[in-house]
Amino acid sequence: MSDTATKNQAPGQAASAASMLTPTQRMLREAWSKPSFKFGFFTFTVLLLGALLYPEISSIDPTKMNIKARHTPPLLIGDWSWAHPLGTDHLGRDLLVRCLVGLRYSVLIGCATVVMMFIVGCGLGLLSGFKGKYTDTIIMRITDAQLSIPMIILAIAILGVSRPTVPAIILVLGLSGWPLYARVARSVTLSEKSKEYIKGQRVLGASDWRIIFLFVAPAVLPPIAFVAVLDVARMMIFESILGFLGLGVQPPTPTFGNIIADGRKYLLNAWWIATMPGLFLLFTLTSLNLMGSALEGARNNVLRGTV
Amino acid sequence: MYLLIFLSRRLLQGAAVLLIVTFAIFTLLRVVPGDPARLIVGGMAPDEVVEQKAEELGLNDPIPVQFIKYLGEIAQGDLGNSFVRARSGSMGGAVAFDDPSRGDRAEVLDLIIERVPLTLQLAGLAVLFSLIISFPLGVAAGLNPGAWQDKLAFFAGSIFVSVPNFWLGIVLALLFSVHLGILPSIGYKGFEYTILPAFVLAIEMSPFIIRTLSVSIAQIMQEEFISVAPLRGLMRSRIVGAHAIRNASIPLLNLFGIQLGSLLGGVLVIEFIFDYPGLGRLTINAVLQRDFPLIQGIAIFISAMFVFINIAVDLAASFIDPRLEY
Amino acid sequence: MSGDKAILQVQGLSVGLRNDPSARILDNVSFELGAGKVLGVIGEAGSGKTVLARAIVRGLTEPLTYEAGQVFYGGDDISSLSPKRLADIRGNKIGYIGSNPAGALDPTLPVGEQIVEKLLSVSSGLSRSAAKKRVLEVLFAVRIPSAEVRFHEYPFQFSGGMMQRVMIVDALVTNPSVLIADNITQALDVTVAAQIIRLIQELRDKFSTAILFISSSLPVVETIADEVLVLQQGKIIEQATPSILINAPQHDYTMSLLARLPRIWGADISGPEASDAPTLMAIEDVHRTYMVRKKGTFRGMNAVQAVRGVTLDIREGENIGIVGESGCGKSTLTRLLAWLETPEQGTIRFAGEDLSRLSRQELTKLRQSFQLLLQDPYSSLPSRMAVGRIIAEPLLIHGSFKKREIRDRVLQAMDEVGLDRALENQLTVGLSAGQRQRINIARALVLEPRLLILDETLSALDQVEQSKLFELFDKLQQKHGFTYIFISHDMALVRKVCHRVAVMYLGRIVELADNNALFEDPVHPYSKALLSAVPTLDDHPFKAQEYLLEGEPPSPVDIPTGCSFRSRCPVALAKCETNDPDARVLVGGGQVSCHLVDENQPAPNYQIAAAV
Repeated sequence: MSDTATKNQAPGQAASAASMLTPTQRMLREAWSKPSFKFGFFTFTVLLLGALLYPEISSIDPTKMNIKARHTPPLLIGDWSWAHPLGTDHLGRDLLVRCLVGLRYSVLIGCATVVMMFIVGCGLGLLSGFKGKYTDTIIMRITDAQLSIPMIILAIAILGVSRPTVPAIILVLGLSGWPLYARVARSVTLSEKSKEYIKGQRVLGASDWRIIFLFVAPAVLPPIAFVAVLDVARMMIFESILGFLGLGVQPPTPTFGNIIADGRKYLLNAWWIATMPGLFLLFTLTSLNLMGSALEGARNNVLRGTV
Repeated sequence: MYLLIFLSRRLLQGAAVLLIVTFAIFTLLRVVPGDPARLIVGGMAPDEVVEQKAEELGLNDPIPVQFIKYLGEIAQGDLGNSFVRARSGSMGGAVAFDDPSRGDRAEVLDLIIERVPLTLQLAGLAVLFSLIISFPLGVAAGLNPGAWQDKLAFFAGSIFVSVPNFWLGIVLALLFSVHLGILPSIGYKGFEYTILPAFVLAIEMSPFIIRTLSVSIAQIMQEEFISVAPLRGLMRSRIVGAHAIRNASIPLLNLFGIQLGSLLGGVLVIEFIFDYPGLGRLTINAVLQRDFPLIQGIAIFISAMFVFINIAVDLAASFIDPRLEY
Repeated sequence: MSGDKAILQVQGLSVGLRNDPSARILDNVSFELGAGKVLGVIGEAGSGKTVLARAIVRGLTEPLTYEAGQVFYGGDDISSLSPKRLADIRGNKIGYIGSNPAGALDPTLPVGEQIVEKLLSVSSGLSRSAAKKRVLEVLFAVRIPSAEVRFHEYPFQFSGGMMQRVMIVDALVTNPSVLIADNITQALDVTVAAQIIRLIQELRDKFSTAILFISSSLPVVETIADEVLVLQQGKIIEQATPSILINAPQHDYTMSLLARLPRIWGADISGPEASDAPTLMAIEDVHRTYMVRKKGTFRGMNAVQAVRGVTLDIREGENIGIVGESGCGKSTLTRLLAWLETPEQGTIRFAGEDLSRLSRQELTKLRQSFQLLLQDPYSSLPSRMAVGRIIAEPLLIHGSFKKREIRDRVLQAMDEVGLDRALENQLTVGLSAGQRQRINIARALVLEPRLLILDETLSALDQVEQSKLFELFDKLQQKHGFTYIFISHDMALVRKVCHRVAVMYLGRIVELADNNALFEDPVHPYSKALLSAVPTLDDHPFKAQEYLLEGEPPSPVDIPTGCSFRSRCPVALAKCETNDPDARVLVGGGQVSCHLVDENQPAPNYQIAAAV
């Protein structure tokens, strides 16, 4: 018998190295094989590094006014000068540096918000799906209630009547965005819970908490976490909307929202002040979304077993 | 009969949701800084007047007591009166505290109902536009996974989802109103004022529809009943048109139910940018003026709408797929 | 086969893979199907059966490609027809029935409407009302009860067997001259499968349709085909009439196929003998009812009576089989025995201890002694854990062992079940079903249990792997004195390994007997019906024509009064309607719940044909 076992095992070992990886590793590998992921990844890394380094090493202060240089058009449109590649605004401030500084806040708020949504949402979702019964009913009703007030309305209402600081923005966006995570975590927990191997674990005598922490959470959370990249982009848009409405990080700190809101007043004689930062944001978000969608596609493929 | 039972079940659930929402928003607005009584009487009023007003409105009662009172009023269909808006429609903010017109505040419910038709028109047109954009892209992608149609849908979706809506609004207004002069963009004087804002909203919604359509169509095309259908003698056009799209419409309906919140959030911002006189602009102005009764009223109204539309969505889904229990 | 009236001719058909030019899924397949004849195709999983079925009607999907060959239908080469001409033949002149009736129709539309849709799209000039009339006619012909009502019902409201009847209607509604039946009984319970075979035999005469009957079960093909093709790795290796094929096979593969068929009846066949032994697990009058929300009511509940008063003693060291159709309560009983769920009435004692009276700690401790082995070796193991860790898991749960000791016990268990020690730190991905099942066994083994409950544990394995695991089970039983409960729908397996067999129907054990007594001299009418449905080449003592039942078990929500089997019983008496029969102990030690059995006299022999 033992030699047949070794014989049987041969194909197992021969099966490509990919089959030895955990689903998470296979997912990353699958995502990496897509050009769109690589493109998004590199672009975003470069932009992020730029945001962290360029305002520090360049001598241009994002808030310093320079009336002489006001309304300088961007590269390719006006003079061929690299001094202000995206042009300057009505006060002569360099738009590129302002965008890069805005990006810092945008990414910070986006990431922190998503982490918060993830923790709150997945925690409640896991609990709801695993415990069921009244716990489930109560959590799901609260989720429904939260879901029924559009996130942006809630954020505007709270930030509008209180003072918008960075922690307040993170808190408000994070607290209004968790329900979708709770729903997803709950539904995957339900499907994981009904799987045979969980039943097997129960037969062996494992306790609820052992099953949640050792089996359900590790199976359920990583796929959700990777797709959360898409939500970072979504939150960055929300941050810019809040800024645009004057409810984001307050001037003089530049954010995409307040730059565009300012630029809107000069649309007729300096159209680039409002449009260039938007394009910059669009470009950043596209790179992030390409990454996130590639991860999502990879996850679906892995879950469907085609990889 | 079944329908009645379903409706009563769901309405009860919805009532629970609404109760939670009302309580949450009510409490929230009472714990954040900002004295409502001061807002009503105006910044110039002496402290005694403020105090008197607070007493009159019951603002000095404990929050639960205020909440019960508020619920009682809602039950009678009364969402309260605006703090700052006069019945005549003019803003009351600048009026002196002893001006008699201060007593004559607009009803929150009237303010909301007045704005709803325009917002519905905007949302409806936006949904129509987004379906027109998404259907060809999404269905083609779902039918040809991995092919150029799929990639096109993927990139279009990735870019659309990355567009900040307020920025797109500005750019389109600049392009179509200022430079080309084809479409109006600020305010509302006729149906054509709805087109640009609806288009911006459509772009915001379409990536989700494209994704859902392409994923669910691709999945359904793998189903046994689709792969067996040609052997049974059905034509491809019929298989796709009558069966694949029919089955894919259920995830689409569910998406609509879930994304309704985002849609309304988008409406809000877009209305603000285009100065479109709907519910969204009303909300933002209410927030900026700290008009608490109005904010509360709008939040409750919107979540009620959310609850109703979701019931309608589930009902529609169960008519299409009877396996879904209603 | 006479070549003069061949209606379908396949010539040199080869099918390959798009990205692997050397692959041959079908290799030079040629045969003819005579008008009105039944041609059987037998082949194991992976032999290319389904590809053949689809290739004939030009229904291949990526990455399969045609490499060579033609398929002639009445002079037309199907492989080169225009789409328009093809549409005239496919689904119209050539009907197709697949193996998965549950997924064959759009789940969101009523079945009748879909058949009408199909009929209208292949036949021009037919009015909708005429089409509907025709569909109803054929629905009656396949004996679907209350066809007018069911016409408007949705696929999910049909059982597997009823749905397969619907698909037969779908194929026959155009009165095709050829019917391709691709493994149509595979997904069905034995009794239902036997009904479908019987139906096909009848319809064949009524519609005079030629049938290409593809199946993985030789006994099934043998009962229906005029001639049989044996397909192995895409090649036809033998073609003969059923009797010649069985009695004088030419090809080695055919011989091995025959040799591997499990034997159930015959002079030289007998099951393991039961012997008396002390009781290890005592199940007494256990009940389990599920409350399921009634569709379309506010708070209405349906009581699904899954297990209704099962009493059974499991003897130390025996193999006991529990058999029955799907929905008979086997799975629920399994969960009760494994104490995954608790019975709402009745007791289960293990080694004298009433499980419901134990504290949580005591229960966790006792759990080590009775373990459940799950059915699906793929989904029953966590995918993110190394093999060694999976096997160690029970030791980690159950107490404080030293790291060394755990590892020793894990390796020892791996040795014992025949798993290579090198697998210890590997994930389960890529392991075969047999190896995975060994991991399952090793995991149960480290706890040194006394009772193993096997829930269809072997049904996912092929014959060779099954027999190896039997040897393993046997060895472990010799060494550790294990007791096994086999929950199974596979009568051949039960015949081979179990000392005693319990037959379940609608949540009850209707008959409990020693192996030989049950298989050779069953007492309960249901036991006979169940046995009659077992496909075998052996000289069948219970002919389907005589004992097979019509219809399907009633829903466990609406259990008939009196004897629950009476609604299908061919020999029901008046008192069956009012009195629920008690279990009676028979002379040989067996038990049966049937009014026909008097305590002192054996049950009368009967035949359905005579009784009806």
